[in-house]
Amino acid sequence: MAVPIDYKAEGIVFDLQRFSLNDGPGIRTIVFVKGCPLSCLWCSNPESQQRKPTLMYDAESCIGCKSCVRTCQHGVFSVENPNFIDYGKCTGCGDCVAACPAGALTIKGKTMTVESVIRELKKDVITYRESNGGITLSGGEPLVQWEFSTELLKACKAQGWHTAIETTGYGSEEAVESVFPYVDQVLFDCKTTNDKVHKACTGVSGEKIRRNAKRITELAHTIIRVPTIPGINNTEEDFESICRYAGSLKGIKEIHILPYHILGANKYKLMGVDYRMPAEIEPLENEDVLPLQKVVEKNGFRCVIGG
Amino acid sequence: MAIGETIGKGFMEPTDRVKRLKKVIVEAMPVIETERAKLVTEAYKENEGISAIMRRAKVIEKLLNNMHVTIRDDELIVGSAAQHPRSSEVGIEFSFDWLEPEFDTIGTRANDPFYISEESKKELRELAKYWEGKTLSEYAMSLMTPECQACQDHAVFNVDNYKLAGVGHYVPMYEKILEKGFSGVIEEVNEAKAKLDYTNSESIAKKQFYDAILITYTAAINLAHRYRAKAAEMAKVEANPQRKSELEQIAKNLQRVPEFGATNFWEAIQSYWFVNFIIHVESNGHSVSPGPFDRQLYPYYAMDKTITREFAQELIDCLMIKFSDCNKVRDEISAAAFAGYTLFELLTIGGTDEYGNDLTNDLSYMVLEAHAHTKMPSPSIGVRIGNQTPDEFVYRVCETIRLGTGMPNVFNDEIIIPALTNRGIPLKVARTYSPSGCVEPDIHGREFGWHDAASFNSAQIMQATMNNGRLFGDQVGPQTGELTDFNNIEEIKEAYQKQMAYFVSKMIEADCCVEKAHADLCPLPFEAPLIDGCIQQGKSAEEGGAWYNFSGPQTYGFVDSGDSLYCIQKNVFEDKKFTLAELKEAIDNNFGYTGGPEGGSQEISINWKYGPNSCTATGVGTNESELEARIYEKVKAMLAGSGSLNLEELRKDAMPAASELQSECPEKYQYILKVLQNTEGYGNDIDEIDQYSVFTAGAYTYEVEKYKNYRGGQFQAGIYPVSANVLYGKDVGALPDGRLARTPLADGVSPRAGLDTHGPTAAANSVSKLDHANASNGTLYNMKFSPAALAGDEGLKQFAALIRGYFARKGMHMQFNVVDKATLVDAQEHPENHKDLVVRVAGYSAFFTTLAKETQDNIIARTEMQF
Repeated sequence: MAVPIDYKAEGIVFDLQRFSLNDGPGIRTIVFVKGCPLSCLWCSNPESQQRKPTLMYDAESCIGCKSCVRTCQHGVFSVENPNFIDYGKCTGCGDCVAACPAGALTIKGKTMTVESVIRELKKDVITYRESNGGITLSGGEPLVQWEFSTELLKACKAQGWHTAIETTGYGSEEAVESVFPYVDQVLFDCKTTNDKVHKACTGVSGEKIRRNAKRITELAHTIIRVPTIPGINNTEEDFESICRYAGSLKGIKEIHILPYHILGANKYKLMGVDYRMPAEIEPLENEDVLPLQKVVEKNGFRCVIGG
Repeated sequence: MAIGETIGKGFMEPTDRVKRLKKVIVEAMPVIETERAKLVTEAYKENEGISAIMRRAKVIEKLLNNMHVTIRDDELIVGSAAQHPRSSEVGIEFSFDWLEPEFDTIGTRANDPFYISEESKKELRELAKYWEGKTLSEYAMSLMTPECQACQDHAVFNVDNYKLAGVGHYVPMYEKILEKGFSGVIEEVNEAKAKLDYTNSESIAKKQFYDAILITYTAAINLAHRYRAKAAEMAKVEANPQRKSELEQIAKNLQRVPEFGATNFWEAIQSYWFVNFIIHVESNGHSVSPGPFDRQLYPYYAMDKTITREFAQELIDCLMIKFSDCNKVRDEISAAAFAGYTLFELLTIGGTDEYGNDLTNDLSYMVLEAHAHTKMPSPSIGVRIGNQTPDEFVYRVCETIRLGTGMPNVFNDEIIIPALTNRGIPLKVARTYSPSGCVEPDIHGREFGWHDAASFNSAQIMQATMNNGRLFGDQVGPQTGELTDFNNIEEIKEAYQKQMAYFVSKMIEADCCVEKAHADLCPLPFEAPLIDGCIQQGKSAEEGGAWYNFSGPQTYGFVDSGDSLYCIQKNVFEDKKFTLAELKEAIDNNFGYTGGPEGGSQEISINWKYGPNSCTATGVGTNESELEARIYEKVKAMLAGSGSLNLEELRKDAMPAASELQSECPEKYQYILKVLQNTEGYGNDIDEIDQYSVFTAGAYTYEVEKYKNYRGGQFQAGIYPVSANVLYGKDVGALPDGRLARTPLADGVSPRAGLDTHGPTAAANSVSKLDHANASNGTLYNMKFSPAALAGDEGLKQFAALIRGYFARKGMHMQFNVVDKATLVDAQEHPENHKDLVVRVAGYSAFFTTLAKETQDNIIARTEMQF
């Protein structure tokens, strides 16, 4: 019996990234959903963290025409305000974006139904087929809007598509049981096995994540991915420990090393927020993580740099 | 190669001989030679008062019997149209008036410079006296109505391609010569001649035609024997024993071919090349395309029991280099349009037989290997890909593309075959098609396709639509209403359609005049037996002798028009951000930037740059105004076929792309411009936007197909720009899509540079929404990738999936530039380090460093798709 699918279920999506090659097999479309219970220092998608739509302002594109000031009903923009923008007042209505001639304003996050997401995803159906690709659900943390995530994944499975999910593993038991039966491949983010470090860097304890990991690996094929951050988890000892942990989970054969990058740093500026990673920490090159790759391989896992 | 990778196989090193042959070509300074012009002029003088076809036979007889016999060091395949490597003769009988004024700049011009000696200049000046008023180009222009000429004067279209040289653009039936030799042609013609019934008056012309072929092919055999004698003579005095034996073998080969059929692979390749280079000697044309090489040569490779694969590979490598040995000097404008010393010879591999069976064979792979060895810009390599094509072959094609030369480019059997049957070609015949020139599907050996018949600037149709039919202030098109009179987008589209209908009808006239000029003055007797139907019907291809006759004029700029329509719909009618009157004023003033002309707007002479409303009036002196006017006059003069343009001058003084916004400019222009530039465009897979470019493309292609050509065949449209999108962008004023005056137009069917922001599948989907099948003279889709994007087996698989995906959506053609931006920028700054960097320009590849800076900039600006 086919499971019922609620195509009218709504979620807040902030991007659909087509032609993605590094987050699951083949050519994929990534659906980015809003909301994340973690706040990792190095987060490259800060606009994903809050669940409601997020306003972003690019001062460099701004031509100073003040269309936004005139348009906004909520008093977000004010020339008297030294910061010009009061992000807290934004409701995400998007009127300012439509009024801005310069493309300096964007709202990240809009409510979409499962049906409307599927309609966009279908545009690359031939590419999925030709490349053995599919769709990847990412975030934010897809377990935050887990009801929506479940319906969306079911709808994708109904199309016959391969589904993958990028997750921190942080979510309720109910969410885990609901989402993962419809996932073909899990890209499971694992930062560190040291709980103190975990709490300090992500804002949450790793305990719940470890509990979920056990269940998730039983439900779906899982790959461990390690965002590798200088000074936090980039020593060989860190990776020895991560490998031991991975070995304790069911069916883990593959570990990806994601070298630290700062491609998301500018987004903090656009959101009027400080980037908390110290500026002196430089991005890692692939060569920098070769010793770590050796550790992973020595422990019997397949290792890919960059996913 | 990473461990566990099995798809990417890498390429072998070429032999030392191949490296040496390549070095000669890459390092050669092309020279303008005068031998052909001299012999042609003598022959014309000696043969007054006879039929055109017979006169042409006398011309080619004179050429073949007297031209220099040139065998270069290391060559295994011989036959050269010019004495110096990579040099050009002059097609003086087609057009000449452009060359003399360019004598002093041609050696130093930005695109495709040629060395010309003082002595040669003198000689050519002398010869030119005979040709005044007699060239094909002058005759063709004299046939056109003033209205038709006005369209060309106002840069709506031009038909210069064939006014200035032979037509070319066909795929010769090489297999006939490989099988029967030139003597077989003579036999065939004698049989046809014997059947003539002289009581039928048509037989008079037919006899002339047959006799002309007999004279021509006899001379061609004679030339082969002159080459044989030369090789034998060189062998006698050669000290190096290996080279001596090679020369002896070359002589032996020429004893057999091309007079008779080939008996082994080496002979076959020699025979093949002989056909090719005599075609160049005959007509000085371009885009004579080798066609389905693997299909034509395979029988000789398979029958050759003694040849090793390595030696066969070396022979193919040598042949590839010979293609780049041929060259053709063009006027400065054409050289800019077709930048890169290219002859547009498209060699095809892959595809099917007439029943649809896959024909991929060893030679298909060896051609890819040969390209990897030689990396020459000519010939272009085209690959036919259909559902039947093996994945292994597609991966190998992708691996070759990954080398970064922009080759091969790929063609979709699944859309081209139905497109051709839609033109009345039987399915079995359509399945054997071969792309030619840049991207034009052709029925090889049976079609005279007159591809590339005209360049039609669809962006000018937008200008005419906005200005009630005026272009540059003159009433050239029909009156369809002022922009401010329109109430909705449908009315504007209707006016666009009417303007299109008018200008297409004038282009048809111009084309037919050029076709008649060729039929009257330059029917080609060497070419005729290489296109089936000519001997049977007893007339040349120019007179309609081929079984299949088409004319294929191409357009570009339709995306600029389409995005302009969408910008008007979205910002004026939907969002009401400004009115049509405000938009028009901003456009007429080039949004406050310097650089006019807002072609088609108001009165160009008054308001071009310095009209009363123009904010530049305060900022720039009148000297520059005069200079601009003068330069533009030159452009127009050139387009009217009466002069030539100094591009250096144009570049120096009239490049507005990066012009500074004048501070005095009204803020309203800036606001409008920003709104337009931030309006999404075609290329992001958004139906409501893409539909406008689908409309503007269709407005052209469906209009063109209504007409018949001079030879009784159908007109069929193409959508590709060569690199004309840069050049002809200079004729186009500011547009409602926020494009500034004179900046480049969109390239082919590709989105406007930088506007496709949703990744390659979104862009490809947008492009695939066009009715490619209706543009049966070819479409061109250019994508640019960084090498990192294609790394590893995964990269190859994903690349192949992208191609297959676009093709599954009925896209027609794709080509790729695989070089990173940094490499291109470095090559621009340090050309000396990148002499061999080949990039895809548009429909063909060229050495990057030989391109003019603006063409280079355009390539760099094309969206770099990141994986």
